[in-house]
Amino acid sequence: MSAEVAEVQLQVRFITKQEQYAVPDSPYAIQSNVQVADLNTLINALLKETNPSIEKAVEFDFLVCGELLCSSLSEHLQEKGASTEDTLEIEYLERFPAPSPQDCLMHDDWVSTVHAHTNWILSGCYDNSIHIWSTKGQHKLAIPGHTSPVKAVSWVSFEGDQAVFVSGSHDQSAMLWVWNVPRNSVDCVVTCQGHEKGIECLAVSADSTRFATGSWDNNVSLWSTSLTEEDSAPAKKKSKPDHGKAREPLTTLKGHREAVSGVQWMDYNTVLSSGWDHLLKLWDCELGGIKQEIAGNKAFFDVDWSPLNNSIITASADRHIRLYDPRSTESIVKTTFTSHTGWVQSVRWSKTRDTLFLSAGYDGQVKLWETRSPRTPLYDLSGHEDKVLCCDWSNPSLLVSGSCDNTLRIFKAKHYETA
Amino acid sequence: MPPFRKGLLKRKVDAENLEQNERVNTFNQAEDSEQEDLITGEVDAASDTTDSEHEDETEVPSDHERDEVLFNDSADSTFGDDEQADDASGSSSDITDSEDDGESEEGDDSDSEADSGAESGPAPASGDSGSDEDRSTARPAGRVKIKPDAASHHTDTSIDRLADSVHKASVNTQPVTQRDEYSSGDTSDEEDRRNTVGDVPLWWYREYPHVGYDLDGRRIIKPPQRDQIDEFLKKCEDPEFWRTVRDPNTGQDVVLSAQDLELLRRVRAGLVPDAAHDEYAPWVDWFSRDVLATPLRAFPEHKRSFLPSRDEARAVGRLVHALRMGWAKTRRQLADERRQRRQRAFYDLWGAGAAEPRGLQRHIPAPRRPPPGHAESYNPPPEYLLDAQELKEWNKLSETPWKRKYTFLPTRHASLRAVPAYERFTRERFLRCLDLYLAPRAIKMRLTIGPEALVPTLPSPRELQPFPTFEALCMRGHSGLVRSVDFDPSGQYIASAGDDGSVRVWETGSGRCVRVLALGASVARVVWLPAAGLCVLAAAAGPRLLLLAPGTGPRRAVERTDDLLAEAPPDHDVAVDARSAGAATWERVAPEAWARATRASILHARDVAHVAWHARGDYVCATLRPGAAGGAGGARAVLVHQLSRRRSQLPLARCKGLVQCAVFHPTRPQLFVATQRVVRVYDLLKQELVRKLLTGAQWISNMAVHPAGDNLLVCSYDRKCIWFDLELSSKPYQTLRLHGGAVRSVAFHRRYPLFASAGDDDNIVVSHGMVYNDLLQNPLLVPLKQLAGGARAADLVVLELRWHPAQPWLLAACADGTLRLYA
Repeated sequence: MSAEVAEVQLQVRFITKQEQYAVPDSPYAIQSNVQVADLNTLINALLKETNPSIEKAVEFDFLVCGELLCSSLSEHLQEKGASTEDTLEIEYLERFPAPSPQDCLMHDDWVSTVHAHTNWILSGCYDNSIHIWSTKGQHKLAIPGHTSPVKAVSWVSFEGDQAVFVSGSHDQSAMLWVWNVPRNSVDCVVTCQGHEKGIECLAVSADSTRFATGSWDNNVSLWSTSLTEEDSAPAKKKSKPDHGKAREPLTTLKGHREAVSGVQWMDYNTVLSSGWDHLLKLWDCELGGIKQEIAGNKAFFDVDWSPLNNSIITASADRHIRLYDPRSTESIVKTTFTSHTGWVQSVRWSKTRDTLFLSAGYDGQVKLWETRSPRTPLYDLSGHEDKVLCCDWSNPSLLVSGSCDNTLRIFKAKHYETA
Repeated sequence: MPPFRKGLLKRKVDAENLEQNERVNTFNQAEDSEQEDLITGEVDAASDTTDSEHEDETEVPSDHERDEVLFNDSADSTFGDDEQADDASGSSSDITDSEDDGESEEGDDSDSEADSGAESGPAPASGDSGSDEDRSTARPAGRVKIKPDAASHHTDTSIDRLADSVHKASVNTQPVTQRDEYSSGDTSDEEDRRNTVGDVPLWWYREYPHVGYDLDGRRIIKPPQRDQIDEFLKKCEDPEFWRTVRDPNTGQDVVLSAQDLELLRRVRAGLVPDAAHDEYAPWVDWFSRDVLATPLRAFPEHKRSFLPSRDEARAVGRLVHALRMGWAKTRRQLADERRQRRQRAFYDLWGAGAAEPRGLQRHIPAPRRPPPGHAESYNPPPEYLLDAQELKEWNKLSETPWKRKYTFLPTRHASLRAVPAYERFTRERFLRCLDLYLAPRAIKMRLTIGPEALVPTLPSPRELQPFPTFEALCMRGHSGLVRSVDFDPSGQYIASAGDDGSVRVWETGSGRCVRVLALGASVARVVWLPAAGLCVLAAAAGPRLLLLAPGTGPRRAVERTDDLLAEAPPDHDVAVDARSAGAATWERVAPEAWARATRASILHARDVAHVAWHARGDYVCATLRPGAAGGAGGARAVLVHQLSRRRSQLPLARCKGLVQCAVFHPTRPQLFVATQRVVRVYDLLKQELVRKLLTGAQWISNMAVHPAGDNLLVCSYDRKCIWFDLELSSKPYQTLRLHGGAVRSVAFHRRYPLFASAGDDDNIVVSHGMVYNDLLQNPLLVPLKQLAGGARAADLVVLELRWHPAQPWLLAACADGTLRLYA
């Protein structure tokens, strides 16, 4: 069959949105059974003709019929049911360079959560401790404080020497910490108590004034990040004076029927939450009500929203990652990404590229996905030997993942400028 | 030639000659001459009344001639005779004929052989046409010669005879021969002389002296017959003879007047009979196309002529209706129909039988005979011929021919020509027909039911999603068999217990072991308290039932649990009967045990095998393992402990058999107690046995109650899962044999219509078990998926199954020390 297909000549036209790699807009006749590598050489040869300034060969990815080309062109076309008669438009773009493993940070227990910033990495551990690492892999601090596994951590703000971060734990409390960087001392400023069960997830709003927590008691709570007392609600008894002042939630959003597994801020006023009750909910923070509901058919484990493309990706209790559009009123999955062999526990969008995201699964794989390639991820970031519990791509150059093998692995994304 | 001239000529022709002439004549000529003779005869008769003899002579040959012609052309014979009989002229000649016959009868009987035989035979009633036929068929050739002779003899005797008879018969009548009246040509008094015989043929009077009756009823006497001489003399003497005709009704001679002759002449010439009629009168065109100034009719048109005809309107309406309805027919179609109707409808004897006869609507064809084989050939291959031994056997079986190999003897013939007739052919055909007739045939409906058709149409598993399909998590930690697992009411945690003497608490989502509670003894059973407000685990460790507080739930619930279980209620609050008091003891919990999360401990007489909570969480039912004493203590094997009052009781007064497990009804105050083969349902309030469910299994291992409470699933060591619909009957609704080994655990999902069963088989079977609210609809059970259990250890694979309370996830306690979560 391939021999028969091999005879077909295709009229193709190469287009790109990256101007520095533009080639003449004239159709070329190529064999239909070309692979990505062949197209790469072709484009590079064309580039060399038009733009002699590019010395090094550039790796490209090719978009055919809106999907990334992985197999040979003929198979791809057959899969998409596209005609081989017309002139085919192949869009090419510079391939995202392969991330390289940079570091492996050893913990004492399972790493349940991680959040990276420009220079620092915050990780939560099942041994109830929070760790601060530098991006270079240097362990800065181990912070005990919680009495149960830490399930969510997030940086809040950096102001001079003072860094603020928040952590949520299964001990039903979230803590607001202040880390004095030069002195390397950390102080729990506020203990947020209001959930009746363990906190599962946590997200800080873009303006760093509030954060939202999702818990096993089916509620989403919004909290203030202010370090002083006056913002918080009326006076309350201080159950744990050694951990700073207690604070009650600004708002509690009730509506989920099962545990809330993920929260994200979409804008100043909107919180997105995912639950084990198969629902994604968009909350209006001011009114405390539900703006929109998207029903899935599996329990959601994690959710992330990208401001770049306004899409929601979810990890649910099966092996698929699903892409939803919050603007559509129907609960229709736009794309399903299937490559993991176990539950997917965590998904994170890239902060800089609107088509890339990261996923971590119980099959020990962290995968880097391109939204236009639903079958095959761009890269498998392997290295973990057990279930991967969390991943983070907040720092565009660092792909961080924490696993049950007590390690936090850092992959460095090669720097490249988007067009 | 004018008729009278011809008549004159004829008179001179000799009868003999005339006859000879006519004999040589062809048919056409004979016909011509016959017509002429007829006319001449009549005309001649008018000329001379006495000259009848001559007329006879001319008449007879014409008769002969006609006979002969008739004989030649037999197709028209009867028709011609009838015509002749009806003919007026024919009848006149008949009268003379009959006279002749009468004469010949009396005169010479023996004289004419053929003629007398022919003419004496017929009775007076027999028709002239009949005698004619006789003559024509009997001896036409011989008679031609004889007849003239006979006629000549007649003439001699007939005159005398007639004269005599006339004299005898007419006694009181006057002779009617009044010639003067007729000679004048005046026929005004003809009315008086009218013969009133009516339609009676005149030859009936042939033998009588009269010819009929007049108006007064008097006989009309025949005029005296003239012989030929008289005729001749009259012909010679009477100048009017040529215009004299005889009236057959009266026998009188009538002299035709000049007008009559003229009329005859005109008729013969083909002219209009009335001479006064002017054929060429000028034509007045009264009704022409020219519009006249004044109408022909002087009265105005009737009003009716201006009104449309109602009949016509009706006819037109009928036509239009027929056109509209499509049953109007063209003229051609009508003509075709008419033609078809005119055609005779033949029964199509050999047709295909478009319309079957009435009695054979469901015709069953006769069974086909098998085609002849090689042995039946006239020249069979040698292997089909019987050899000596076979022939011997053949002959031996002559008494029982149906046992023979063939019903015939295969015989070899050199050629087909040499094959003799098969002597049993008719016999065999008869026997076959007899068979077909005597053995009534019936259409046998063959049942084409394959094994697939008997399988009920179950929905495809794809439609029944969600259900667990793959192993999502594998939790390792136990060092021995994992005997029991349970989800906490919210599904966040899992408790497991095993032979290593520890109770472990796991986090569902990640598979993280959160707590390990070492109890020191092998734990057979661990069950989470179903009420949400408390966080208590019931663990059966040896003879003790321990209530553990893992401390995982909400902080408030943990505190409440501690408060509740810390203080024993005052003694006076607890009333325990003596029988129950000995069955179980609530032990004081040591502080070190309290630190290890033990909150209460109940000591039983024997090891606890099964623990089940009541749905509201205050009662826990413990089933004890049968002790060495055997099955005597069936009633003492089931205990119900009340948590809030720290009280134990034996709910059953007596119970036959070894109790395997006991569980509470989810909503009603009922207790299901499974012994080896029977499940009994007790009402706890009324303290009585409600039902007894016969499982049909040899040894029940476990059971599960549907969350709605109306269905019960029992599994047994003999590889069965038995579904009871409690609303339906106490017999199993369905027995599922899904496993190859003993089934040790079954579980219902609390929300999804799912159940699972597992045991010593390698597979866990997930099934769809839909229970409908409609009582008329039976539960729908569809096996969905086989999930691989853990590794086999000590011939055990899966010891217990539990469903996640909210998600379609299944948890299995495996014998290889793992907990497996399927999602």
